[in-house]
Amino acid sequence: MKQVIVHPERCVGCMQCMTACATAHSTSKTLIGALLEEPRPAPRIHVGAGLEDEGFPNRCRHCDPAPCQLGCLPGAIYRAKGSNTVMVDYDLCINCASCAMACPYGVIRFAEDPKAPPGKTVAVKCDNCVERQAQGKVPACVETCFAGALTFEEPSEAMKRRTGEVAASISLDAAAHRVPLSASWDLQSEMKRRQKALDQR
Amino acid sequence: MRYVIIGNGVAGITAADTIRRIDPEGHIVFVAREAFPPYCRPMISNILAGSAELDELPIRPDDYYRSLGATAYLGVEATGLDLESREVSISAGANLAFDRLLIASGADPHRIEAENLDLENIFFMRTVKDVLGMVEALPKVKHALVLGGGLVGFKAAYGFLSRGIRVTMLIRSGFPLSMQIDQTAGEMIQAELERHGLEVRTGIEATGFEAGEDGAVRAARLSDGTSLECDAVVVGKGVFPARGYVPSAIETDAGILVDDSMQTNVAGVYAAGDVAQHVDVARRRPWVNAIWPVAVEMGRVAGHNMAGYPMRYPGSLSRNVIRIFDLDVMTAGMVSPRESEGLETAEGYDRRRHTYRKLLFREGVLVGFVLVNQIEQGGVLMNLVHQGASLNGLTAEALGPRFNVGQVMGRGRQAGTGYPAPAVGAPSTRHTANAAAAGSSAAVTTATE
Ligand SMILES: Cc1cc2nc3c(=O)[nH]c(=O)nc-3n(C[C@H](O)[C@H](O)[C@H](O)COP(=O)(O)OP(=O)(O)OC[C@H]3O[C@@H](n4cnc5c(N)ncnc54)[C@H](O)[C@@H]3O)c2cc1C
Ligand code: SF4
Ligand code: SF4
Repeated sequence: MKQVIVHPERCVGCMQCMTACATAHSTSKTLIGALLEEPRPAPRIHVGAGLEDEGFPNRCRHCDPAPCQLGCLPGAIYRAKGSNTVMVDYDLCINCASCAMACPYGVIRFAEDPKAPPGKTVAVKCDNCVERQAQGKVPACVETCFAGALTFEEPSEAMKRRTGEVAASISLDAAAHRVPLSASWDLQSEMKRRQKALDQR
Repeated sequence: MRYVIIGNGVAGITAADTIRRIDPEGHIVFVAREAFPPYCRPMISNILAGSAELDELPIRPDDYYRSLGATAYLGVEATGLDLESREVSISAGANLAFDRLLIASGADPHRIEAENLDLENIFFMRTVKDVLGMVEALPKVKHALVLGGGLVGFKAAYGFLSRGIRVTMLIRSGFPLSMQIDQTAGEMIQAELERHGLEVRTGIEATGFEAGEDGAVRAARLSDGTSLECDAVVVGKGVFPARGYVPSAIETDAGILVDDSMQTNVAGVYAAGDVAQHVDVARRRPWVNAIWPVAVEMGRVAGHNMAGYPMRYPGSLSRNVIRIFDLDVMTAGMVSPRESEGLETAEGYDRRRHTYRKLLFREGVLVGFVLVNQIEQGGVLMNLVHQGASLNGLTAEALGPRFNVGQVMGRGRQAGTGYPAPAVGAPSTRHTANAAAAGSSAAVTTATE
């Protein structure tokens, strides 16, 4: 299955993806329309600055298993059947931010959304543009990124390894500084390994 | 294989779900004091506040036990364990034999020493039943008294205030939430609640209650000899692990002590959730972290091991998110004044953005933090605490408003974890400069007191 792949080293920090993302999650699907909408649609991708001020596009990794899903109190976070996408059920969400506390990438924001009950603030994050994909389009951030920092492709082994490295890099020099008890990241990876093993039985 | 699970809270049902995935045949038996379907306990405070309905609480379908192929004794208590015959005795008058036992009975609210504690409209806030009682009493409540400045006390106060009811909170000492957060954040929360009509009184306790003509509470007698009129009381003095029926042969500290597989010192007997005591990764010692995500994790690990698929638990971390009116507070690890003594601290207060951040380090390793507002990056910090990674030099960025995971990964790259070199961007100190320009003050100090 094709996935959005982030190449942070190519990001020029133009933030076009944020605008495109917000527009894709608006009701009108046009930039001008989106600006006039109430509630104003929120971007699900965030371009921050890295340590050396390089652009850093940051979006949901759709982790499996997902720490946000395990931490969600009412069970509002689920994995869409048959896809790789971790979704938030806006009806169930109680805006408690337990997910933001669990997400190791800091990609969850809280906002009103055209798709949520009116006046209700909910957890919003990347949904892999499920709506656009159903229409045969690529995710909006990918379409708009001219620097090639966001691509939509089959993750090759090399890419998977890279993603793995990025995930590992969040643990800094973890091997050197590991507390004897190990860490949540290991727990997540371990659960994933097991889930796979069980599924394959 | 016969599995008995005491308690149908999130730890118990997560373990049962896990067991069923691994062992399709085994017989699963629940003994559960609450007959209500498995539900989201934290959401009872939303019921009090009027922001959730009863039918939004369940977290499993109506036919949960049946679809799991489990037997459930609902509204039934475990009253004792016979470790010789390997049986659980239950209040329904039977003995249930087990091969594997999971103690997942959660926690019960602390009672207090006070006269007439059993008057009508004096509540604890732990179960859906407790909160339905509170909601029923609401129409007659004009002034609510909350005893205790812990999390549950605050959620109770918030609930009443959201309903337009006046609330007085009595705190024995210090400042609100002094177990969870530092003084600055505690005072910010208190100010926010006071702005919405809360009155906080410290250094004072309730010693007894008086009944009105209808038998319901009418006033509280206080430790300074005065009395205070009130028509509802919530006792929020913390919780303790619900293990009264557990024999002393099973080792306990505050909670039931478990190893990395969630097993107690008795083979085949496991514990998970609020009742269990494993290890806190920041504190590096046995610790009860009575919070929802930890109960989920422990339930999973216990389920795996009970079904014969070994798995280790790496330890938990205390953490809380509190959203009160316009204030968001996130905290994790060692942040209370008592615990942060001697730790290196860095804090920044941004008046313009109304944000406050504090990081606590032990020998360069992040062991706790408090964020007030702008909490989106809390998960990044939490993961760093979990990793026990050295963070030398990250302090300034982490305190600034532009902190994000990219800066952490950049560090990983420097440390040689193979993250690719950036195509653009030169070394710069812009973040710190920006943080200063935005009016935030960052200072690194070593706590002395
Ligand atoms: C008002 C409130 C707000 C909260 N908010 C948050 C929050 O925002 N974030 C967070 O992380 N956590 C929160 N918590 C804590 C969270 O609810 C608990 O950590 C979690 O429910 C623990 O799950 P558990 O399965 O271990 O125990 P429990 O949910 O307590 O379940 C244990 C069950 O076992 C039953 N039982 C007890 N003794 C026996 C017996 N002898 N026989 C049979 N059954 C028995 C109990 O009645 C109960 O139904 C909150 C708690 C409360 C009360
Ligand atoms: S929100 Fe965060 S934790 Fe959840 S799937 Fe996305 S990246 Fe993972
Ligand atoms: S904010 Fe919403 S999605 Fe996030 S943990 Fe709370 S209920 Fe779940």
